[in-house]
Amino acid sequence: MNLSELIHEFILALIEPGILVGSIGTVSFINTANSAFSLGLVFTCISLLYFALNADFIAAAQLLVYVGAINVLIVFAVMITDQSVSSDSEKCGIGYFTALGACSILFLTIVCIFHKLNDFYSSSIHQSEYLKLNLFEQNDVQNIGYQLLNKFLVPFELASLLLLVALVGAINPARDED
Amino acid sequence: MNDINSFLSRLNSIINFSTILPKIILIVGLITIVITDLVNKGKNANFLYKIFLISTLVSMGILFYQLISVIAFEDLYTNNTFNNLFRFFILICSFISVLLSVDYVLCSKISLVEFPLFKISAGLGGMILSCATNLITIYVSLEFLALSSCFLSGYTKRDIRSNEASMKFLLMSGASSSSLLNDFSLLYGFSDGQVQLDNIIDKILFSQYIPIICISAAFILAGTAFKLSLFPFHQWTPDVYEGSPTPVVAFFSVTSKVAALCLFTRLFRLIFPYLSNEWHIVVELLAISSMILGNLIVVTQRSFKRMLAYSSISQIGYVMIGILAADLENGYASMITYRFIYIFMNLGTFARITPFSLRTGSDNIKDYAGLYMKDPVLTFSLVLCLLSLGGIPPLSGFFGKLYLFWHGWKAGLYLSVTVALVTSVISIFYYLKIIKLMLTKTTNLVDTLKTYENQKSLVSSIISTKLKSSVEMAMILCALASTLSGLFMDPIIKITRNTFF
Repeated sequence: MNLSELIHEFILALIEPGILVGSIGTVSFINTANSAFSLGLVFTCISLLYFALNADFIAAAQLLVYVGAINVLIVFAVMITDQSVSSDSEKCGIGYFTALGACSILFLTIVCIFHKLNDFYSSSIHQSEYLKLNLFEQNDVQNIGYQLLNKFLVPFELASLLLLVALVGAINPARDED
Repeated sequence: MNDINSFLSRLNSIINFSTILPKIILIVGLITIVITDLVNKGKNANFLYKIFLISTLVSMGILFYQLISVIAFEDLYTNNTFNNLFRFFILICSFISVLLSVDYVLCSKISLVEFPLFKISAGLGGMILSCATNLITIYVSLEFLALSSCFLSGYTKRDIRSNEASMKFLLMSGASSSSLLNDFSLLYGFSDGQVQLDNIIDKILFSQYIPIICISAAFILAGTAFKLSLFPFHQWTPDVYEGSPTPVVAFFSVTSKVAALCLFTRLFRLIFPYLSNEWHIVVELLAISSMILGNLIVVTQRSFKRMLAYSSISQIGYVMIGILAADLENGYASMITYRFIYIFMNLGTFARITPFSLRTGSDNIKDYAGLYMKDPVLTFSLVLCLLSLGGIPPLSGFFGKLYLFWHGWKAGLYLSVTVALVTSVISIFYYLKIIKLMLTKTTNLVDTLKTYENQKSLVSSIISTKLKSSVEMAMILCALASTLSGLFMDPIIKITRNTFF
């Protein structure tokens, strides 16, 4: 392995434990505020992962949307609700085993899919084609902007109208009328 | 500099295209409403409604006289008869439903401005959904329609049932559109990055993943059948219909169903042409269950709006027969014709219920007893619309159903047509039950009807005569359309014929 691959592996080795620790913390903290903050840690590490995979637009979008909006909303909601710390969350009922079964099946499915894809993509023919695409030279954000204003103009403008209507609709039930 | 030049030339070509002009007019109307209300600070409510009506009428006119079919934004949507018909229907629905909602909004003293705003946005979402051929445009316009309908259904915020209805609608539409999105991501992945519906089938054909197409068919069905309220996904319909304000129910019982029908037809036609046997069987099963369930449960209903909800579930079952029976020479003529007639029948029924519920504040069917004595015009037009819904001969509902079932029989769907005929008879039974209740003279009137006369004069003194007659205008329009459309059936069928794609 040359230096760049080494650095890449090193960065990934830093980010992945962050995701694991954050998600375990989200599930197992008893205090809900701690759980919400560790969810923020998970989202931040995922966006760092996107940076390491050279998808800078998605990384920025993840930071803005997930960490900046969704996680802040979750933290607000947690802090507004008046909660006493519950201590009976250690029971292993039937729901526990059902969720365990469903999650392990999902996990095994994903592992199998990744194995098959790994075999498929590491054949030499495919790798040479992939390198020919030369993805590292493109400017993602410029490309996305170009496509948004040309090919996907109608959904783009429609999404802006959707935001307007969503704002009006959200304020409408909430405002105080005389 | 080059970019600016090319952008300007593109702008020129955009202005020359007439395909998106109706939508642009609606958008301009939407923005005008917001700005007018800001400037006027809540006065002059009539003007806002007039803006809405004018913009809808103008776009309808442009759509109607669109003789040159210009293909604009080829990647995003095309311009064939199927699309145009559906867009025209949605505009008709918006127009008539606003006519009958003006009274209600003024009487119930809720805020006036956002109502036409949400109606325009829902109509806009429906129109773009009708002619979208791009996965992304489909999803964004579907969300637009769903979100605006959800805000409309929660509009009377002091009514608890309205809050419950909009919560249910929001949650279930979120679940179903997430299922649809899951399916779109499957299709996007397996067609090697294609977003256009036409290109997806080309790419998928060359791959070996047939089970993937079956899975994605299941997801699409789960996503679109919600809006259509087909059998297992119909649970939201009675509660939302009963809780939302009546003109809102009128609006989205026709508009979102028309748009969802267009989406359903297009997705299943374009994406799964090689699985037609399998999905025919599934859709037939769903249609039969919807018809049976809708018509059997409705017999026990006590609320008028709930009854109309279940009857709309069964009507969708009939329309599914029309979708399954589409073939090369007739296109989707039967489905579109029945839909057209159904718009008028349904809106006509709601146009009668709305003033009744305004005047008496009640939704129970039992309170309609003896209505003939108090208000013969309302009774007579309601009788016409209900009989048309049931399918009694000289009215247009009969002709629509006849064409639909004949088409279905010709296409070989014997079981579905038989079940549809039986359930139509059941539906005629309960419509006649209501009509009999209204027309019989009872000696002891129900309490609500005793106050009928008083409240009617109260209402007419508040609102100016112009607005009061808008509901009656809608009433008369719908009554005429539901009776006379049967006579004009042939030209309608001729127009809807070349809609196969």
